[in-house]
Amino acid sequence: MKLVLDHAGVRRGPWSLSANGTFTNGVHLISGDVGSGKSTLAQIMIGLLPDSTGTVEKEAIRAEMISFQFPEYHITGTTVREECESWGLDPFPLLATIGLSQKHTEDPLRLSRGELKRLHLACILSRNYDLLILDEPFSSLDVFEKQRICAILSGKTDGITILFTHEQSVFPRSDYIWEIQDGQLHLCGSPPECLARWEHAPPVIKALIERGKTPENISQEDLEAAACAI
Amino acid sequence: MRDIRLRTGTAMLLSITAFFSIVGAAAALFWWLIFTPNIRLVRKNRLVLPSLILVGFFSIALELTGGDGGSYFFRMLVVILIASWLLAGQVRGEFLDLGCWLLGPRHGFELGLLAEMALQNLDTLLTDFDRIRAAERMKGIRSGLKSIVPAGRILLHGALKRAEDTAELLAVRGYVHGGTWVPEFKEGPLDIPAAFFAICAAFISLLPVSALFILY
Repeated sequence: MKLVLDHAGVRRGPWSLSANGTFTNGVHLISGDVGSGKSTLAQIMIGLLPDSTGTVEKEAIRAEMISFQFPEYHITGTTVREECESWGLDPFPLLATIGLSQKHTEDPLRLSRGELKRLHLACILSRNYDLLILDEPFSSLDVFEKQRICAILSGKTDGITILFTHEQSVFPRSDYIWEIQDGQLHLCGSPPECLARWEHAPPVIKALIERGKTPENISQEDLEAAACAI
Repeated sequence: MRDIRLRTGTAMLLSITAFFSIVGAAAALFWWLIFTPNIRLVRKNRLVLPSLILVGFFSIALELTGGDGGSYFFRMLVVILIASWLLAGQVRGEFLDLGCWLLGPRHGFELGLLAEMALQNLDTLLTDFDRIRAAERMKGIRSGLKSIVPAGRILLHGALKRAEDTAELLAVRGYVHGGTWVPEFKEGPLDIPAAFFAICAAFISLLPVSALFILY
């Protein structure tokens, strides 16, 4: 199972984006500044940009899903319960895990952005996809919820999961780290070796590396373990 | 046609001409074919086809209930084509220019601002609609009534939310009514001839058919 990008990109006036690379099983984290083209690349990968150039090849990928930054786009149910059912899920156990059981009769559009994002991610992460693309999954979430999502993502063993984020504090355990810089997608590599080369690494990781304590990976637990070894 | 005053005036005149008679619609269509990029406009504007489908639906209903659905469809088709031309050439700030020129810094400014915000919202709605359709397809929901209703709900909710946010933002910034804006207009080489022939088209539609053809 793999996703291959061959000069996949887009040009809009003076701004352009180009990406080469092969994405195999595992969690891939793609970082980049705001406006660097993360959402655009996510759409190219899933085939939603008709004006994109280059090729995107998918091998043995049967089920794919993109989670947009704004969860409203995904809503098809008129109540929270219906929304869970529209994903083919049993609503009550799912809503209990995210603390929304009391709101099962409410219109999803009346939930706060944070609650809606929680609901949307819970639905999407309850299903198995060969290719799952998450565009800014941590936006609108509090630290507790970010950590919960990271724990789920860290435990994922099947399929290709690609996270686009400019998050600087909470990450899941990642198999590969990529970054978008100057309109190009670069593969930094796998942690821990790649962390020194990671330009968008958060300050805490840079500080740990400076002190000679490179963390094993980038999850909260890995960072704490490295910090405790100082 | 670059001058927004002439473009809006021409579009209004041709729309009224087209709506009120078949002859007017034919004259306006003729004008549209000559003075606009015609078919390229239709290909570029994604709202033309859905609008025609909607009008087609009402035309069939009119025909079935004893009205002249065919005539209605043709006249509305021309009105939609004229509207697509009006919007295709739109440049940001133009309606603010037009509003202030026409009605001054208070009511004109407000109307212009409203028009600008509405057009800006139209672009956002199209982008949002694409995202919603993509999300629905991946959820396994096929195109049809089942997919249009939730999409419409989200679009409406989004538009109302944005309107509320904009209104609050304007209020917070101290906006009460009106504003200062110096209108600027640019003229294209075909502006005057195109406007002149639009007036001719409207004039032709007012003439009785017997004045143009010898009828037996």
